[in-house]
Amino acid sequence: MTLLHYLTVSGILFVIGLFGALTRRNTIGILMSIELMFNAANLNLIAFNRFLYPERLDGNVITLFIIGVAAAEAVVGLALVVTIYRNLNTIYSEDFNLLKG
Amino acid sequence: MLEHAYLIPIIPFVTSLVILLGGKEGKDSKMPYLGIAAMGWCFLQSSVLFFRALSGRMPLEAGKEFFLHQRFPWLEWGENLRINVGVLVDGPAVTLLFVVTLVSLLVQIYSLGYMHDDKRKKRYYAYLSFFTASMLGLVIASSIFILFACWELVGVSSYLLIGFWFEKPGPAYASKKAFITTKLADCGFYVGLLILFCYAGTFDLVSLKSYIAQGLLPVEVAKAVGIGFLIGAIGKSAQIPLFIWLPDAMEGPTPVSALIHAATMVVAGIYLVARTYFIFTAAPTTMGAVAWVGLFTAFFAATMAITAYDIKKVLAYSTVSQLGYMMLGLGVYGYTAALFHLTTHAFFKALLFLGAGSVIHAVHTNDMREMGGLYKRMPTTAATVGIATLTIAGLPLLSGWWSKEAILHDVYAVSPGMWVVAVFTAGLTAFYMSRMYVLTFLGAPRNEEKHSHAHESPLTMKIPLWTLAVLSLFAGGILHYNGLFEHLVHFKLPEGSHGSHHAPAYLLPGAAIFVFAVGVGLAYKLYSGSLETAQQLRGKLSIAAETLEQRYYFDDFFLGLVKLSDKLATACYWIDSRIIDAIFIDGWALVLRALAAVNDFIDSFIVDGAVDGVGTITQDAGWGLRKLVRGQVQEYLLYVSLAVAVFATFMLSR
Repeated sequence: MTLLHYLTVSGILFVIGLFGALTRRNTIGILMSIELMFNAANLNLIAFNRFLYPERLDGNVITLFIIGVAAAEAVVGLALVVTIYRNLNTIYSEDFNLLKG
Repeated sequence: MLEHAYLIPIIPFVTSLVILLGGKEGKDSKMPYLGIAAMGWCFLQSSVLFFRALSGRMPLEAGKEFFLHQRFPWLEWGENLRINVGVLVDGPAVTLLFVVTLVSLLVQIYSLGYMHDDKRKKRYYAYLSFFTASMLGLVIASSIFILFACWELVGVSSYLLIGFWFEKPGPAYASKKAFITTKLADCGFYVGLLILFCYAGTFDLVSLKSYIAQGLLPVEVAKAVGIGFLIGAIGKSAQIPLFIWLPDAMEGPTPVSALIHAATMVVAGIYLVARTYFIFTAAPTTMGAVAWVGLFTAFFAATMAITAYDIKKVLAYSTVSQLGYMMLGLGVYGYTAALFHLTTHAFFKALLFLGAGSVIHAVHTNDMREMGGLYKRMPTTAATVGIATLTIAGLPLLSGWWSKEAILHDVYAVSPGMWVVAVFTAGLTAFYMSRMYVLTFLGAPRNEEKHSHAHESPLTMKIPLWTLAVLSLFAGGILHYNGLFEHLVHFKLPEGSHGSHHAPAYLLPGAAIFVFAVGVGLAYKLYSGSLETAQQLRGKLSIAAETLEQRYYFDDFFLGLVKLSDKLATACYWIDSRIIDAIFIDGWALVLRALAAVNDFIDSFIVDGAVDGVGTITQDAGWGLRKLVRGQVQEYLLYVSLAVAVFATFMLSR
């Protein structure tokens, strides 16, 4: 198990997340895809920490922060989805076009 | 008394305002009595001054030639322009004060009768007071500037009084003529005044006199100033060629004519020359000019009087002629003689006018051909006017004789040639005055209807007549006695100005008596019977007579001047509107309009185009860019991802 394996998994995860975020119509799906990208980044950080600087904790600590921030982001994102649903009666992202020029 | 001399002009001035603003207008107005009372006070004060000065009981100021000189600062602008207001009382001023107040008082009393049924009596008396006040101010002013102001006031009030019956066209025209003519001459006075002030820096007569006595004024400047003042005097004192207003001024009420001719208006010019005599003596050329103007005026005015049939016109020409005498006297260094003649002339000319007024009042016409034989109907008038006629004609030992002889004496000393003309003029005077008297009072009535309605005037008109008659008889003799007047005027001839000619003792009085006798006799012979002889004579000399009746065409001359200037003005207007306006105004406007069009093009297409272009481009760019913003969150995300991908590729491949 080398660094390259970890990075490959992480890259695949990120691209899946990005693809989901760009293509999902459902807002909740988009949020889930974003979580995938977060986790790809986390995996990346852990892997670099583990293989390049095993004596330090920087990568682990930042990963913990990111997990916290991601939880908060999920809360805010879901609250927004609920509010949008109440107002517009839909959660499909192509219907949110109030800022259309 | 003396130190309050300033009251003499102020009282009538205030009175005129009171009369004008207070009281009730109408035939029964009581305001005339106020005017008479005020003038009475002024007369009392003036005559006290006059008699005290005459009897030598009023001391001159130490080492000076005047009795009183008061000055108060009035206007001050900076260091150089200071104008004082004040009074200067000397011999001539005292004399004039006496004469003016006396004549004005008598005229006002006389007007009670003459104007008794005039509807605007209050206004008339206000004007009379104002007129007199202006003249008294002129007489007493210590500064030429104030003198000039009063001079103009005299002009204004004469305008008001000559045009008193302004609803008739004649007086309205005459008043305008008098005002404009004298105003024309005033320009000369004013210019002279300014030149004098530029050099001397003061208007005060006493300061000016000492300034000139020190020889500080260049002769050329003195000449210019003197000529300017002479022009002013020519207008005001009706000398040739500006005498034309005076005969027309007869349109005013007759007492006003008396006032104008005897005391207030026309003597102002003579008085101006006398008051500023030191300027004239400083430049002998101007003295010559004064003398010649006087001589011409005296002679030509006398000839014009010969053919006039209007009683007041005869008197008007006679005034012009006598004023010419005074001017002549001043011009030949006969300062005392001229002022003496001014004084006596005031008495008999006022008397003549008041007498003529009395006649006109009785027969309601000015034309002497309608009169004749009036002595039976109006004995007082006939007697008093007779005295005045003899006085002005020069009967020995009456007032006029003394003063005229004094002038003739001075004239002879300077130039016997001038003296011949002057004596001949005296003969003419005797002739036309006797002609006037004979035509009016003697002979048979030529108009029975008017004659039968004639009546003697009321007492208010008789009193002034008698007073003036007494003065005409004796004033000259009394003033001449012991050199009384000479002493009063106190005039010292400048060095080297004494005339070189000495006449034999019998020549001067002899010639005067001779021309008097010839003149009176000729007039009596020609006019006492029917007018046929005179008419035949006129027929034979029709060209000469016509010239005289037309006043030597002076009026036509001035009217021609006016018409000429009118034509010139029209021509100037044409040039102005058709040439100057067309080229410089309209043409310039065309050029400017073309320039403006170019400017407009530049402004709207280039400057504005640039400004608008920036705006338009920005707007269009905005419209274009707006299409990109579609409101699709995932699209934005796609752009971000692509950008990151591109930048990442770019950075990693370096």
